[in-house]
Amino acid sequence: MIRATGLTRRFGTRTAVNDVSFEVARGEIVALLGPNGAGKTTTMRMLAGLIAPTSGVVTLDGVQLTRATGSAVRSRIGFLTESPGLWDRLTVRENLSVYAGLYGLADAERTIDRALEIFELTPRAGARTAELSKGTRQKVALARTLLHDPVVLLLDEPTSGLDPEVTRAVRRLLDERRAAGCAILVSTHNLDEAERLADRVAVLQERLLAIDRPAALRQRLTTGRLIVRVSGDPSRYVEAALRSAPGAEVSVDGVALAVRLANPEQQTPALVAALVAAGAPVLEVRVEIPALEDVYLHLTQQDP
Amino acid sequence: MRIRTLVTKEFLDLARNRAALLPVVLVTVLSLVLPFGIAVVVPAMTGRGLGDDADLVKVSAVAGIHGDLSDDGHVQLFLFQQFLMLFLLTPITGAMALAAHAIVGEKQARTLEPLLATPVTTYELLTAKVIGALAPTLAISLAGLAIYFAGILLFGAPGVIGAMASARTFVLIFLVAPAAALLSLQAAILISSRVNDARTAQQFGVLIILPLTAILVAQFTGTFWLSAWTLTLLGLGLLGLWVLLTLLSVALFERESILTRWK
Repeated sequence: MIRATGLTRRFGTRTAVNDVSFEVARGEIVALLGPNGAGKTTTMRMLAGLIAPTSGVVTLDGVQLTRATGSAVRSRIGFLTESPGLWDRLTVRENLSVYAGLYGLADAERTIDRALEIFELTPRAGARTAELSKGTRQKVALARTLLHDPVVLLLDEPTSGLDPEVTRAVRRLLDERRAAGCAILVSTHNLDEAERLADRVAVLQERLLAIDRPAALRQRLTTGRLIVRVSGDPSRYVEAALRSAPGAEVSVDGVALAVRLANPEQQTPALVAALVAAGAPVLEVRVEIPALEDVYLHLTQQDP
Repeated sequence: MRIRTLVTKEFLDLARNRAALLPVVLVTVLSLVLPFGIAVVVPAMTGRGLGDDADLVKVSAVAGIHGDLSDDGHVQLFLFQQFLMLFLLTPITGAMALAAHAIVGEKQARTLEPLLATPVTTYELLTAKVIGALAPTLAISLAGLAIYFAGILLFGAPGVIGAMASARTFVLIFLVAPAAALLSLQAAILISSRVNDARTAQQFGVLIILPLTAILVAQFTGTFWLSAWTLTLLGLGLLGLWVLLTLLSVALFERESILTRWK
């Protein structure tokens, strides 16, 4: 649905995006992560047909984006820009009405009414957008982005500056769009949001450093340590752990034992059994998985 | 369809920001006051008729001899004809602010990027911007024109209003003025899409008006007179230039530069 192949964009001597390739399938949300200046917005703009890549190809919904196809392809894209970009002197309804006209919507008034309802904007429909709060302006911008029922959504920081309630509503809405078959690319700084929302996460820093499911990305940094949380002082059970798994590294990590096993698959049951036999009240046994933030920092700081 | 949508948006925006039209209204009012001051008020105050000045009568002959007009009437006809052109062109200088702000304003308000992400083409966007600035300007000009002719009817010498109703006047109102307006506003919009400051665009746009104003001033010397036929050619030439400038505007509109380099 969204396919970027070898996308490169240079501004003079500076390379903003370098040989980036990825795909977003129908009914999938991919979160684009990266530090400031990593090329996220440039990538989004190339995908939206606003700027041309220096090299590489963008294909959206099966159509290659070119100067000739630009207008037609853009009618199938919903692009939420970093700033809401509303006409301040126009009302909420008027702002949406202009875009309904630009997209040539047949039943514009009904579509606008529905969008206002979905975003709970009906009571503010007659208000000039200059009078709205930041969160409400963002909701209007989102309503505008979804107005023409696009099959491809490109969202630059969709929940930036929104309160938790609105953020949750936006996530719910994106879930619905995904279920409806949209291909959705979300640029965000919010790792928690990326993890909650996205099927896959792409980490960009000029180049595409990684793209995978959040769990798979975390797996890359897996330490192999087993965390065994016990009731009481965990240091009392260090010897039992060492007896059960000779050669293992055992340490106390807060209220838990952290055990690095040579072969966790085979050794874990025996370890747990030994701890229980030693009288340890075991509350939880899990493999230590790093947070997505750790993976992100690892990837972006590793890259020169 | 998309042009109509964008023009409607321009009108809505302007309706909520009427102060933006103030320069056009002020220039129109000033342009109304000036000819009547010279052709009617000054002679009445000094007690010396326009026809008493032999040189003026001689110069005004370039506007044509009308058997039913007095010397005063002939000079008034000459002046009202001359000021008609000025009257039709000067409101454009006021409208220049609207046109100059067209693209820069959208960029500064951060409304341009979502707009460019829609299927709207460059041609549609620029045409809508020109119409958005032109239509209110012409409306104000036409309203002023009605007052101008009413003033000539009320305060002009007998027969002047009838002599004003000529092919020359028709060509000036319905061809030269709109063509000059289109050309200069298009120029302002072209510049507006190339610079990141509305003032620069405005100054460049006004440059288009200057040659026309120079022709007008030269006519006051009586050395030459633009006939209806010459004015028709001038109007058609201006329209041709406008078409070329429109094509140039579309070709020079760089979405990328506007989005990535302007701050």
